[in-house]
This record gives sequence, structure tokens and C-alpha cells, in this order.
Amino acid sequence: MTDLQFEDVSITYRSSSTRGDVVAVENVSLDLPAGATLGIAGESGSGKSTLIMSALRLLPKSARLDGRVLLGGQDVRELSFGQIRAVRWAQASIVFQGALHSLNPVREVGQQIIEALEHHSKGTWTTPQKRQDRMFELLAEVNLEAAKSSAYPHELSGGQKQRIMIAMALACEPDIIIADEPTTALDVIVQKQILTGLARLVAERGISLLMISHDLAVLSAVCADLAIMRDGRLVEFGPSDEVCLAPREDYTKQLAGAFPQIGDPESRLRPKTQRPAEVARAEPFTMTDEVVLEAKDLSVSFDTRRGRERAVRGVDLVLRKAEILAVVGQSGSGKTTLARSLLGLQEVEEGSQRSFAGKPLPRKAKALRTFRRQVQMILQDPAGSLNPKRSVYEAVVEGLRVQGIRDREYERVVGALEAAELTPAEDYLESIPQELSGGQRQRVVIAGALALDPQVLIADEPVASLDASVRGEILSLFLALKKNLGMSALIITHDLGLAWNIADTVAVMKSGEIVEYGEVDRVLSDPQHEYTQELLAAVPRLGSQSLVRNE
Amino acid sequence: MSADTPAEAGPGSPSNGPGPRGSGPRGAAPRGANPAVDGAKLVRERRLNNAKKNWALFRSDVPALIGAVVLLFFVVIAVAAPLIAPATMLDVTKQLDVPRYAPPSLDHPLGTDDLGREMWVRILWGARVSILVGVAATVMSMVIGTIMGLAAGHFTGLFGGIIMRLIDFFIVLPSLLLAIVLSSVLERGVFTIVVAIGLTSWASTARIVRSQTLSVESRLYIERARILGAGHRHILFRHLLPAVMPLVLANTTLTVGGAIIAESTLSFLGLGDTSKESWGTILKNSMDVSAATSGYWWYVLTPGIAILLVVLAFTMVGRAFEAIINPALRSR
Repeated sequence: MTDLQFEDVSITYRSSSTRGDVVAVENVSLDLPAGATLGIAGESGSGKSTLIMSALRLLPKSARLDGRVLLGGQDVRELSFGQIRAVRWAQASIVFQGALHSLNPVREVGQQIIEALEHHSKGTWTTPQKRQDRMFELLAEVNLEAAKSSAYPHELSGGQKQRIMIAMALACEPDIIIADEPTTALDVIVQKQILTGLARLVAERGISLLMISHDLAVLSAVCADLAIMRDGRLVEFGPSDEVCLAPREDYTKQLAGAFPQIGDPESRLRPKTQRPAEVARAEPFTMTDEVVLEAKDLSVSFDTRRGRERAVRGVDLVLRKAEILAVVGQSGSGKTTLARSLLGLQEVEEGSQRSFAGKPLPRKAKALRTFRRQVQMILQDPAGSLNPKRSVYEAVVEGLRVQGIRDREYERVVGALEAAELTPAEDYLESIPQELSGGQRQRVVIAGALALDPQVLIADEPVASLDASVRGEILSLFLALKKNLGMSALIITHDLGLAWNIADTVAVMKSGEIVEYGEVDRVLSDPQHEYTQELLAAVPRLGSQSLVRNE
Repeated sequence: MSADTPAEAGPGSPSNGPGPRGSGPRGAAPRGANPAVDGAKLVRERRLNNAKKNWALFRSDVPALIGAVVLLFFVVIAVAAPLIAPATMLDVTKQLDVPRYAPPSLDHPLGTDDLGREMWVRILWGARVSILVGVAATVMSMVIGTIMGLAAGHFTGLFGGIIMRLIDFFIVLPSLLLAIVLSSVLERGVFTIVVAIGLTSWASTARIVRSQTLSVESRLYIERARILGAGHRHILFRHLLPAVMPLVLANTTLTVGGAIIAESTLSFLGLGDTSKESWGTILKNSMDVSAATSGYWWYVLTPGIAILLVVLAFTMVGRAFEAIINPALRSR
């Protein structure tokens, strides 16, 4: 059995830019005794990935490591190349972030698992036949059929790819598994499957697990100990329940509060944030009965290689004035297609009815343009939705120019930016997207939509790519927009906590159909449909290794 | 902090409070206090800053600077040719006392040709046509290529398909053959040569522009523009064209060289305007009198080296442009 120890580790990236050297990790000491499970939580830029990469000496050449990283009592830096090669995978292996990019797209996944065995076999799996058998054994361990071994990565779903990565990490029976955000891109149900699978393997074989994530609930569901990192420093360390449920540091409280506990009345319609958006109206708007956007029997089909596939099947949906409606479902449930078709960006089947303010959706280009002044959409990825060459001002003013609104252009832009709480707006006008953080970019995208003064805002996973603390800010902004401007919003998400945080009504979608639809309090507190119950059960809760124990 | 960030100042309540919002309650907004500041000016300033940064990058590239100096030299002598060497110096009837086939010497810096004309004067006048044709043909080929490439990348369905087949047609067409046919069918002249080269060299540019258009087209900000209500015109000219423009510019400098060589080839084959000097014409004359086999090396080498220098200079400048656009190339 092997211990992993970080002794007073500091890691500095040399940089030739004007910023000088960047300190990524500063004086961190952590212990991972054999058989233990340790989670490291932190936001992007906290140095958590850099720290764990140092355990297997996988840092780029520009990084300088001070202090000692001991793997089984040996300093990793003193190992020769041959020795470190023997350590990698045989003693410690890594499940990389983003299985999509870590698998070779032109090789069968089974072969890729065998590759790890070929390079690192300790004399156990010496013949091709033995390696083949071992590969099937591994697939069985991660609950994949043997037939999947001849699949190419693109033929597998995100969860299946992640399981292949875990099988690969297990291949040489390592003592330590290091998992870098293993479930970040997955929805709750798949996340639960992966986490329970991982926890079971760790428990059965006495493997130690070092896992990093930005989501405290995910870590506390699996790990016994938790460490919180911020700006390269260790903020708090302790048993998982203690850190999650009785945090000492403010920062830990903030992280723990970022993901709401569904059913907890304290976080209902109140996303936790350090910077709540101001509600300025004396009488804030609340949900009315006036119907703004309506869909009846909406169906959408795509032509695929396997014939016609129906992505959305007979959906009925009503969005009222000043209502926030959350459409919740797993990836592939047709949520995004539904949103695009509501906006007229997607052809719908015969017999589908879409109407806005009582009138059917226009079909002609010019009328559609006027319609889009009223209904705006925010895309999933704020980084990609902004033209990298254009400043914030140009991005926000684009809608006005397209719609031919010429008067008071500057005031409208500044007003929209301030409504999106990017203040003082003047300081940001000249910035280009690379100079902004993820949250600021999302605000610019929202401002671009707000500049048109729309009645309805459709948002596709507006906080999925953002850090926990920024998540609360953006959600509170949506609430403020509703209360101040009486705006209606349709928010697409796989995150039930988001619905609990801000939505009035929720629609649960499965395979293109809405299985449950109603007020948030009723649906989430007392779910009727079994799929809703399944979704709710899969949401990780803080503390007590909940997912593992409930199993 | 959040107390003085009123969310109410949204576009939904456009007329609350006097004056523009820019001059709001925050003292930390000096620019907002100036009502003359508008968005368009900010955009101009940022573009100017970008241009300055790119210029600094260009200046630090030694080969590019050498190329630029060489180009400048040739452009200046081409423009100033009538001042440096009056047209009479090309008149054969005025050169009766000048020795024919004089090798380079102090009296005749680059030697003389079979009719006693100074080679340096011919190079000077030849630069006018060669560079003009090179640049004009390139501009023509770039304009056609960019328009066709954008259209093929942006429009899907039948229209895009037809344009793509048209591009394919011009790619497989032997361009020299087409240029020869065009320049023998059309009236002789500089303009004909420009058209012949321009029409035959745009297809590869269109291909490059199309692939860049396709990759930009799939970005989310194009989808966002559609959501904002943008039509084809806005997406084509506000997003796609600026995105492919740097590529087109870099390609331009690399194509000019090819166009100058094509012009020389056509002139060498006797398809150019025989009444005008060009480097290709000089080469053709040298071949007519078998200069290379008779040992009149300067007759062949001077126009050849002139072509080489200009093409090389354009390529060096073009590579620097490419490196500015695509930072990944810089360390190569």
C-alpha cells in the first residue's frame, strides 16, 4: 500500500508575460494515507488541478515545485524517468477531467485500455490473451457490456466514456486513484452512477481516492475527508461532515451554500451570494395570469443516420408574464431543441402550435426579426457567444443595430449593462471578452439581450459553466430582472437546485416529453412521477457520503 | 457596494432620472461625465490600439522589415521612373551611339541590351507594369475568391452547392492554359493580363475562405446574432467578413508573387502588351536574341533577380502578417 504526502508544496509557473511568475499553489501540506478518501474543493484558479498533477510529476516544464511530494515515502522529484514511469498507473493513476478529450477518437476504447496494460503491466498480464481478458474484467467492473470494447469514443455517451476512463485508471490495480472533476460534465443521474461505482471500487479494494471538484456536495458524497483550496492556499481541512455542515471559514460557508439543498425553505427563491442583485421596485412584479409565450402539441424531429428521430414530442407549455419557468431534464432529453423551436430557430412538425402574446409565431424573416425583439435567448457557453474580436460595447449594441434602433444608443447600452449588474458599466465598454471572467462574460451576454428590452428571456444552462460563487450572482440577477422589469424567463437546466433557487414553475422533461409540470414547491417537495423522484434522489447532498450510504 | 448599483436603471424604465445614465451617481466614472463620448469613438480607439500593437509586432520581425524596405524601393522607382529616366532613354532610335550588349560597367551599371538600351532603365520601367499587374490581378482574385468563399461557406443547400461546384471547376481548370486563351482572345493590353490572371487564380483563395467561414459559422456568437434577429447581410458583413479578412490579407501578399510570375510568364510567351516594358518582356527579348547561350548573362539575370527580389519581399511581408494573425506560428 502506498501513501501520498504533500509536504509544504509550492508550485510556481514561470511566465514570460508582463504578469511575471504565477504562484499556483502555496505551502500546501496534505496527507492521503493508504485506503483513505480525500476530496479537494475549490473554484477555478484555486490550484487544485496543479497540485494533484504534481503527484505524478505531470506538470509542464514551466512549473517549479518547492517542498516535497512523497509517494510511498519516496520523493517524486528524485525518481528517474524509468522509475516514475513504473509508478504511473501501477501505483497511482488519474481519471482526467473531460473524458471526451482524453480518449483517442480513432481507436476502439477496448484497445485503449489494453494500451495502459501493455505499457505498465507488472509481469501479470504478459500475453495478449491475458490482457484481453483483463480488459473484459475491467469493463464488467464499471458495469459496461463487453461489446462496448469495440466501440469508438464518439459512439458512447458521456457517462460511458467516463466509465471507460475509470476502467483505464483501474487497469493496473493501482494503490491510488486521482480523479480530476470526474463528473462535471454529466447530469445528476449519470453522476450518481459514476460516483457510487467509484466509491464501491474504492471501498472493496482499499484503494485510496484523491478527488477534486468545485462542488462540495459531490465530494462529500464520496470522500471521508475534505480540503478546501482558494488561490493556491489550503483554507480548511477536516472530516467531510464537519467541513460541510459546520464550516469554520467564511469561504467554506460560501462554497457550501452555493448549491442549495432542495426542500430547504431558506434557499427557496433566494440564491445564496455575496453580491445579491438589487430589487429596486417598491412592489416587485410577481407571477401573473397573463400568458406571454405558449406552445401546444409541439413536436420536433431530426433526420439522422438511423432514420427520423423525434427530439420533442407533443409538448404543451405556458409562460406567463413575470414567471420563471425551469425546464429540467437529463442531457439528450430535448430541452435545448424545445427552446430553439420556441424562438423559431428550429423547424417544427405539422400540427405544432407556437404563439406569442396570443398570436401565432411569424414565419417571414422580417416579422421574425420583430418577434425576436420580444423574445431573447442566452446560449449555454458565455465564452463562445461573444465574438472574441469585439468589445463589450459592440457586443451589446449589436442587437440594437440589427433591429434598427438608432436613438440613444449609448444610454441604452450602459443601461442594459447596469441592469445586468456589470457596474460601473463605463469601465467595461472597451474590454474584449478574453479580459473578462466567466461571470462577467455571462453578464455581457445577458445585457446584449436586455438592450432590446425583451419580454421573455430564454436561457440555456446559464450557470453550468460558471464557478459556484458566480452562480449565485447570476441567479439572483435573473430574480431581480423578473421583480424589477416584470420579465418572464424560461430557464433550461439539468440542475434541480437552480429550479428550487429561482423558478416559479418547473417542467420535468424526459425523452422529449414533459412528465411532470407544476409549481416548484409542489413538484420538488412532493414529486408524483417516478422520474422526478429519481432525479431528486440523485442530487448529491452535503455530508455523510450520502450517495454511497443510501445505496 | 451593491447599494449604488441600482438594477432599476434597466432598459425597461428608460426615462427615470435626468440626463444620460453615463453621468450617474458614481464619481468613479470620469468618461461618463463627458456627454461627447459615444460608443463609436470607443470602438475607433480600440481599433487604433490594436493596430499599434500589430505594428510593434511587425517591426520586431527583421525579415519582414527587409521585405518591406525592398518593396518600398521597387514601388518608389516604379512611380518615379519618368523622373529618374525619361522615356526617351527607351527609344531605340536615340541609342545609336551606345554600344550593344555592353557588359555591366561604370558607364552601363547593368549593361545594355541588343538595341543598346540601358538595362537599368528597362528594369525601372518594367517595374511599373509588373508590380501594377501583380497587385491588380491579386486584388481581383482576392475579391472574387472572398465573395465566392463566403457565399459557399455561409449558404447551405442548392445555392451553396452550385457555388462550390463552380469553385471546383476553376480549381481543376489548367490556369495557365485558360490565361493564354483569354489573353489571345481578348484585346492585347495590361488590363487583359490582369483579367486573365485574376480570373484563373481565385479558386484556391475561395477554398481557404470557405473553410474558415465554415469554422466561424459554427461558433455560438453567430447563433447569438441570429437570436438577436440578424439576417444574412449582418452575419456576412459584421461577423464572417472580419473573421476571414486577416486570412485574406495574409494570402494576398503571398499571391502577389505568384501573379507577378504569371505576368512574366504570359509576357515571356509573347501574350502581353508588347508596346510596354515589363520584366517578362525583357526576359522574352533576351530569349529572342539567345542571350543566355551567347554569354549575355546580365540580359537574363537582371530581370530574373528583380522578379525574385519582389516576390521574396512579398512573401516575407506575408509571413509576418500571417504570424500576427495566427500567434501559434510565431515560434516556428
